[in-house]
Amino acid sequence: MITVTINGKQIKIEKAVTVLDAARIAGIKIPTLCHHDLLESFGGCRLCLVEVEKLPRLQTACTMYITDGMVVQTETERVVEARKAMLEFLLINHALDCPYCDKAGECDLQDLVMKYGPSSGRFAEGKRKHPESYDDPIIVRNMERCISCTRCVRMCDKVQGASAISMVNRTSKTFVEPFSGGRYNCEYCGNCLTVCPVGAIMSRLHKHTYRPWYIEKNVDTICSFCGVGCTVTAQVRGNSIIRVIPEIGKGVNKGLLCNRGRFGYDYINSGGRLTSPLIRKNGVLEAATWSEAIAYVAGRLQDVKDKSGGSAIAGIASARCTNEDNYVFQKFMRAAIGSNSIDSAAAFAFAPAQKYFESIFGQGVTANPISGIAKADGVFVIGGDPTSVNPVLGLQIRAAAQKKVPVITVGYTPGLRNFSTHSILPAPFAETSLLAAIVSELSRIKSPDVIKSAFGEIIRSIQPVSSEDAQNACGIPADEIRGCADALAGMTNPAIIIGRDIILRSDGHTNLLLLAALMQLINGRIYLASEQPNERGIIDMGCVPDSLPGGRPIAVDSFRKRYEEFIGSPIPSSQGLGLMEIIAAAHSGQVKALYVMGENIAFNVPDHSYVKEALEALDFLVLQDSFMTETARMADVVLPTLSWAEKEGSFTNLEGRMQHLQKVVDGQGIDDWSALAEISTLLGVEMHYKGVKDVMAEIARVSPLHKGITYEDMEGGQCMWPYKGEPLRHDLVLPGIDMPDVKSMLRKPGKDMVYIGVDKPLFHSGSLSRNSQALSSISSKPFARIGGGLAGRLSLADGDYVTISTSAGSLDMPVMLFADMPENLVLVPNNFEGAGVYKILAWKMNENIKTPAFDSIEASLKKIERITAEGSA
Amino acid sequence: MLSDKALNEIHLIKSKYQDSRSCLLPSLYVVQKENGWISPAAMETVGELLSVPDATVKGVATFYSMFRREAMGRHLIQLCTNVACMIMGAERLVDILRDKYGLQPNGTSADGRFSLVIMECIGACDAAPAMLVDADLHGNINENTIMATLDKYA
Repeated sequence: MITVTINGKQIKIEKAVTVLDAARIAGIKIPTLCHHDLLESFGGCRLCLVEVEKLPRLQTACTMYITDGMVVQTETERVVEARKAMLEFLLINHALDCPYCDKAGECDLQDLVMKYGPSSGRFAEGKRKHPESYDDPIIVRNMERCISCTRCVRMCDKVQGASAISMVNRTSKTFVEPFSGGRYNCEYCGNCLTVCPVGAIMSRLHKHTYRPWYIEKNVDTICSFCGVGCTVTAQVRGNSIIRVIPEIGKGVNKGLLCNRGRFGYDYINSGGRLTSPLIRKNGVLEAATWSEAIAYVAGRLQDVKDKSGGSAIAGIASARCTNEDNYVFQKFMRAAIGSNSIDSAAAFAFAPAQKYFESIFGQGVTANPISGIAKADGVFVIGGDPTSVNPVLGLQIRAAAQKKVPVITVGYTPGLRNFSTHSILPAPFAETSLLAAIVSELSRIKSPDVIKSAFGEIIRSIQPVSSEDAQNACGIPADEIRGCADALAGMTNPAIIIGRDIILRSDGHTNLLLLAALMQLINGRIYLASEQPNERGIIDMGCVPDSLPGGRPIAVDSFRKRYEEFIGSPIPSSQGLGLMEIIAAAHSGQVKALYVMGENIAFNVPDHSYVKEALEALDFLVLQDSFMTETARMADVVLPTLSWAEKEGSFTNLEGRMQHLQKVVDGQGIDDWSALAEISTLLGVEMHYKGVKDVMAEIARVSPLHKGITYEDMEGGQCMWPYKGEPLRHDLVLPGIDMPDVKSMLRKPGKDMVYIGVDKPLFHSGSLSRNSQALSSISSKPFARIGGGLAGRLSLADGDYVTISTSAGSLDMPVMLFADMPENLVLVPNNFEGAGVYKILAWKMNENIKTPAFDSIEASLKKIERITAEGSA
Repeated sequence: MLSDKALNEIHLIKSKYQDSRSCLLPSLYVVQKENGWISPAAMETVGELLSVPDATVKGVATFYSMFRREAMGRHLIQLCTNVACMIMGAERLVDILRDKYGLQPNGTSADGRFSLVIMECIGACDAAPAMLVDADLHGNINENTIMATLDKYA
């Protein structure tokens, strides 16, 4: 126990903390400028100077650690005088333009000058001039206001790991600049905006429209972009969001955000929002009233049901919708329609992977806290770049890397390039042989005890693959594979981060089996990358063809009966169709009507022309959405629903944490669940919810996993899996695990082949972010990523336009060169209208896990010679 | 951008340090020796070679005033005009450089051979007037010897 006396107050603290932290514990505030809770102490601004007894000079409280018996004074005349002098130095160059600076009112420097400082300095040399930089679409730099506290640079270097800015020049000419001096070439996380204590780095999105005292309310809610579920504070005036900021220390993100969460919120005000229900009459979508539209939908669905039965109707839900929406959706489909054919885009990768691991290790095996990644003593990343799919989760990997633990990346992960200790880039789609060799090496290294478990049988029955064989198949030297296995063997509590690329393969199930073996061998924790905010929640709510809320299999009579009792209507007992089966059944005419909630299936399901044919073949297509999407243009009825900021509910993030989504502003349209309830009532299954709390109360009764759960339980982010409920009792069953024939995995890449893959860019997610002006200003058009070798072979330069063709069609777009890309690969994103890679992905079905397989899809690239202004080609 | 010789030198530097950031200053010296100054493109090359972020390279290159960030002549003359050198006639030498080579302080001769920077003491007052040409110190120079000294630098 260390005893210190601060301003006459004696406190006891267990371990040596800084004087600043000790003072905080004692409830004494010491002023700071360069210190920030998200950053390490720096000791640059000298504002936290305090007097320590027996030390002749003033000490910086942020860097001095307490010792037993220390006596500290924080506000003596000498200290106050020193702070005043420090502030006077800072004001030499700081422009005193507070009246028109957006920061005024929440400016640390302004507050301190008000308390301690002189209002102006005695230096007569004049202030330095530095024009405000508007070179960037998002970030405005005003270096006349910069006080060189370096918070932004330390944030960018040490926490975000982007290292996009630095302090340039020296002495009084020092300021902050990105390398280009103008536009940023960075991740646009905006975390530099969070830490800037003055108005030197500001957001252009609310320039001159924001004042702290304009804010009428601050609403804590959950970001709607990815499965991390960051806590954000939306600041509102009137009925519009002025800005979205994080709160230091709060939520999964603890005060950090990514570009989408911080700047992407403006999509809710996009001009493309739907305002009125639309009914297709004579081939044209026409505005209708709500009662007309609801009655029309119910009537048409009843017709299909009468004629062809409930199983001819399928439903596609969305992991962008809340748990409440999705719960009501599956209840509507099962009880009112009589169909178990319910699925969502989570069926691409997250749901099958979760199901696969749960079938082996039990429910909840993938529910691991994200904060554990930074504490892990090793990280294994495979199947995509987590720093672009789940950026704030990616920061945890970078934080682990800063601690010098081994970080192994398999595949193209540009966001971890400077952080991985083992960067393994196998030939395209040849990861399986690499994984098999790693598992074989690990089985050899690890003592037999480790694999004594029931699953050990499976591990032992995996036919060993030598690293040399794997080298032949994936092009990674055998020594490197063995080095990677050695590094994995040395880990005691590693994190394994699995992305979609490894799952959407014809051998996706084998990859999952090998990853399960890897997890068992190294005692790892699994994290599944999650592109949408509620992928785990949508499975928990039963929007899957084979299980009910709480993950209870529909095939088990007792579970189904219990559910039927609760909801008071019978449901079909057979398993329904999955997402890709629904599309195929629509194509073949088995499914006649489709109810889609919040998913742009015409764009987000691969092979656009096939999907389009399937949707055209339907008798009836209903869509609930907020935007006029590709799917909406094909629908018979479109019901406009509330978007993220306009509704209340809950999301369950990728780690299994239920969080409360708050209503921030009023919107046009109605809640997804409420439209469904009205239609259900007309179809004879009464649903009368007074509000979202009613729905949650029903979930808490029906789902054994969510027993008694309320929104109050979710406050403070402590509502973790398995909530208050009963996880599914689990006997080790290994359904459908077939022993892989490892020799057949060995796959030599064709030398001149070009394969096409899906790019997941940082600045856009799905087809939602295209409605954000801010995100579009950062990245306004799609581009294909290619490696240096391919570019050389085809004589392509950055920005050249190419036609990318596959057997399913072609796309035109510019290419961008990335030196570290695999040789035989072109990566194309699926975000922009008319230019989504899914248009040309002719997938095969992986029947084992019911996912489309995107591997080995050959593409050809052809340069488009364009006529330049001078008339030459 | 950089000659093979310079690239080899940087690779040699890399083999001497464990941490790539430690290689930054010596690698920037190599670039300056090669090009006379450190261009943004050269900073990118060094960043790429050392896996150090470009912005960090820029921060370091702009911090030290002896790294030049504007195009310079092949040889840099740093002439002292502080008190000791001024008394011993340094200002006359500035005039000679202007007349003979068209060299203005902070300027470069038309043929790109010399650049001139006026220094405030280079610590060679015992040999005043003194100048540095690249890394070589020349002391006790005068109107008669300065041209011969500079002739050695092509």
